Amino acid sequence: AKVSVLNVAVLENPSPFHSPFRFEISFECSEALADDLEWKIIYVGSAESEEFDQILDSVLVGPVPAGRHMFVFQADAPNPSLIPETDAVGVTVVLITCTYHGQEFIRVGYYVNNEYPNPELRENPPLKPDFSQVGPDLCTSCFKRAGSFTLGGTKVTS
Amino acid sequence: MKLLKPTWVNHNGKPIFSVDIHPDGTKFATGGQGQDSGKVVIWNMSPVLQEDDEKDENIPKMLCQMDNHLACVNCVRWSNSGMYLASGGDDKLIMVWKRATYIGPSTVFGSSGKLANVEQWRCVSILRNHSGDVMDVAWSPHDAWLASCSVDNTVVIWNAVKFPEILATLRGHSGLVKGLTWDPVGKYIASQADDRSLKVWRTLDWQLETSITKPFDECGGTTHVLRLSWSPDGHYLVSAHAMNNSGPTAQIIEREGWKTNMDFVGHRKAVTVVKFNPKIFKKKQKNGSSAKPSCPYCCCAVGSKDRSLSVWLTCLKRPLVVIHELFDKSIMDISWTLNGLGILVCSMDGSVAFLDFSQDELGDPLSEEEKSRIHQSTYGKSLAIMTEAQLSTAVIENPEMLKYQRRQQQQQLDQKSAPAREPGSAASVAGVVNGESLEDIRKNLLKKQVETRTADGRRRITPLCIAQLDTGDFSTAFFNSIPLSGSLAGTMLSSHSSPQLLPLDSSTPNSFGASKPCTEPVAATGARPAGDSVNKDSVNATSTPAALSPSVLTTPSKIEPMKAFDSRFTERSKATPGAPVLTSMTPTAIERDVHRQVVVVKEESLHSILTGSDMTVSQILLTQHGIPVMNLSDGKAYCFNPSLSTWNLVSDKQDSLALCADFRSSLPSQDAMLCSGPLAIIQGRTSNSGRQAARLFSVPHVVQQETTLAYLENQVAAALTLQSSHEYRHWLLLYARYLVNEGFEYRLREICKDLLGPVHYSTGSQWESTVVGLRKRELLKELLPVIGQNIRFQRLFTECQEQLDILRDK
Repeated sequence: AKVSVLNVAVLENPSPFHSPFRFEISFECSEALADDLEWKIIYVGSAESEEFDQILDSVLVGPVPAGRHMFVFQADAPNPSLIPETDAVGVTVVLITCTYHGQEFIRVGYYVNNEYPNPELRENPPLKPDFSQVGPDLCTSCFKRAGSFTLGGTKVTS
Repeated sequence: MKLLKPTWVNHNGKPIFSVDIHPDGTKFATGGQGQDSGKVVIWNMSPVLQEDDEKDENIPKMLCQMDNHLACVNCVRWSNSGMYLASGGDDKLIMVWKRATYIGPSTVFGSSGKLANVEQWRCVSILRNHSGDVMDVAWSPHDAWLASCSVDNTVVIWNAVKFPEILATLRGHSGLVKGLTWDPVGKYIASQADDRSLKVWRTLDWQLETSITKPFDECGGTTHVLRLSWSPDGHYLVSAHAMNNSGPTAQIIEREGWKTNMDFVGHRKAVTVVKFNPKIFKKKQKNGSSAKPSCPYCCCAVGSKDRSLSVWLTCLKRPLVVIHELFDKSIMDISWTLNGLGILVCSMDGSVAFLDFSQDELGDPLSEEEKSRIHQSTYGKSLAIMTEAQLSTAVIENPEMLKYQRRQQQQQLDQKSAPAREPGSAASVAGVVNGESLEDIRKNLLKKQVETRTADGRRRITPLCIAQLDTGDFSTAFFNSIPLSGSLAGTMLSSHSSPQLLPLDSSTPNSFGASKPCTEPVAATGARPAGDSVNKDSVNATSTPAALSPSVLTTPSKIEPMKAFDSRFTERSKATPGAPVLTSMTPTAIERDVHRQVVVVKEESLHSILTGSDMTVSQILLTQHGIPVMNLSDGKAYCFNPSLSTWNLVSDKQDSLALCADFRSSLPSQDAMLCSGPLAIIQGRTSNSGRQAARLFSVPHVVQQETTLAYLENQVAAALTLQSSHEYRHWLLLYARYLVNEGFEYRLREICKDLLGPVHYSTGSQWESTVVGLRKRELLKELLPVIGQNIRFQRLFTECQEQLDILRDK
């Protein structure tokens, strides 16, 4: 089976830091799938290490007949206390991954720019980030890493 | 001659490794590198040919972008019919693409330019076999085979009619195979490799015909590709990179004896690609002068690593034209337009060039018929004019048969032309789904979205379907399973129009088939995996003599009712009237046959069926014809055959046969798959499952054939026991069509023989002229066009037709 992501639209961008992420995902599937696809949104707290990654939400999508489909994936904002202070304001990454039978086959990433909309705060940022003021701005440029794998005869590729 | 370098044809600066013009001349494909992947792009041809089109903003230049390859694409080739595009790449895969009808705007997700695809091309098949980069792919002249060569030193021949079946793997090269070409007559395929040899293989047995090494002695593996070419008249094969006296040449090899006397000299570096003009030319007739009929000649383009291109005519000793430094880097591929007057050339520097010739310069092209005539006179029958994909030498003997064949071709042509008319309507970009525009759907999606909770508390979203898939192969409507509701039972029971009870003896020939396995105690228990059913089928096939109904209705499923007479159960049934209360009750219920006051079932014990103690009777129905049908809770449905006083298994929800059966190819294109009638209602199965499972089960082809046959035979028998004439006819035709497609002559003959009956009246014959109310000979007449579609059965066709004519004339 071939699953390919047709489009991911970011709804309400930019938005305040605490508002949820909303992605509208369209994908296409060449055959009906026996099981559900599992989609996850991961917020990369810091590029330094993976331990700062927060899985904002994971959702099962199904049943998936053949054809094109669309759904809205809404996930809560990341927990600011888990983000290291130095990386909070600035550019980081949010990932949308999809797995089937536990194996990841596509990963779409967005650069997130967290910045103070208030120009004053931008110039003189407080030492401790004030999240009430920060709004993540998802840049429209995104990157994707596609992959394919075989799993016991059922090959799901993207 | 005009030279044009369209700068808008590019892969964003990355090299373009291959280019091929579509046979209809309206588009061309390029293959090369993309961002982290291979890229295949389909371009519109008219902006290249006409300057006005190029300037016109409304005419799209790029038609479709496909990024599916995981690594650089080395070769793109259109099939001769133009229906498919094959692409081979460094990711060891070959992808076969087919045009899909327009179902909504789509972009290549992740591309930096948000260009919408004007056309949709879908990958219908991924061919995996090579263990190294695929360097070249080539379609055989009649599109029956696709050949691919790779750095794993092999050439693989794929069955283009049945992807991904492999017909042969040609092993013999000891180096990276970098180029392929087919003989236009279809007798050979030639390949060139880095092992300094050019090998010619026979298509008859896929063995090596000859290996030519002399011209390549001094060669090194300096080029990325070695694309060789065969002339359209079949006389010459021209290699890529060869050496003559330390000078790079393109060696000309003559078909007779594989002689290597001539070559194209002049390039300063290795020749990478040679491509013959698809047309054969003859000298232009000057007005007035009665020029003697000149010899036809061919035209050939040679591209090299020295970045120059030369075009030669085989009647001249010097090239027609040489263009130096056409590109900044080596020339990778050349493609001629089908009318023979244009060339597209691509290069490693990521650009393409187009050369436009006029007829004065090249000559008068010969028409296709003249070309076939030349092939015929020189070589006998040419593969390219065969209508049938198989390499048979059948000549159609019967004019009627020819008529059916032509009709079939016409249908195929219509089907092909139908999608071609689509582009006009595909101009609108706004997608509309069910009357709502995509925008509205988007806005309401979050509210409309169906969200549920799974058992372990996870969120589960049901995606909204915005478009159906269409590859032209599948029927786009999906049939949902028909729920067996109480109302249905009501309709079945309340049919007051009472058809006469059909002569039950008409079903006896088939019932005899059923009774046979009943007497054989086959202790089959448990689930029936496909393998088991196959065995049973073959066992039954051998045991039933040919005198029986030839539909071989020795359905293995009928063994089931007789299986495992569970002594444990009988004890219980005697002891407790609790569960078996049903068993004793049902006979009386059915007795009350409203129409006929005939005791249909009398004291029939259901012991033989209710083998498991936890099975209950879930429903009892009466068909229009007065046949009682009983549904069990485990999904099986039995119908009572009064003449035999047995319960026959008609449907089983867990029938693995049905899951494995794959008769997609024999479905009639226009009719809906749904054939309404009692059988369909009982079975209530999605017709999808066969197709799905056909892919999930990677059963060997032979096993799949057997299971499909068994399944279809079951269906025919079931329709018969249910006395459903409409469905019987439907399944019989489907079964016959499957037999025709797969070539099972013996069974087909048996069916025809049974339907035909004795032509001359003879007493004592047991043949019934009708079955379930249908006249058998009428059925046979309906079957004839189906048989007529396969040339292999033309004898059968002729025989049946003659017999029918005799009968008619009587």
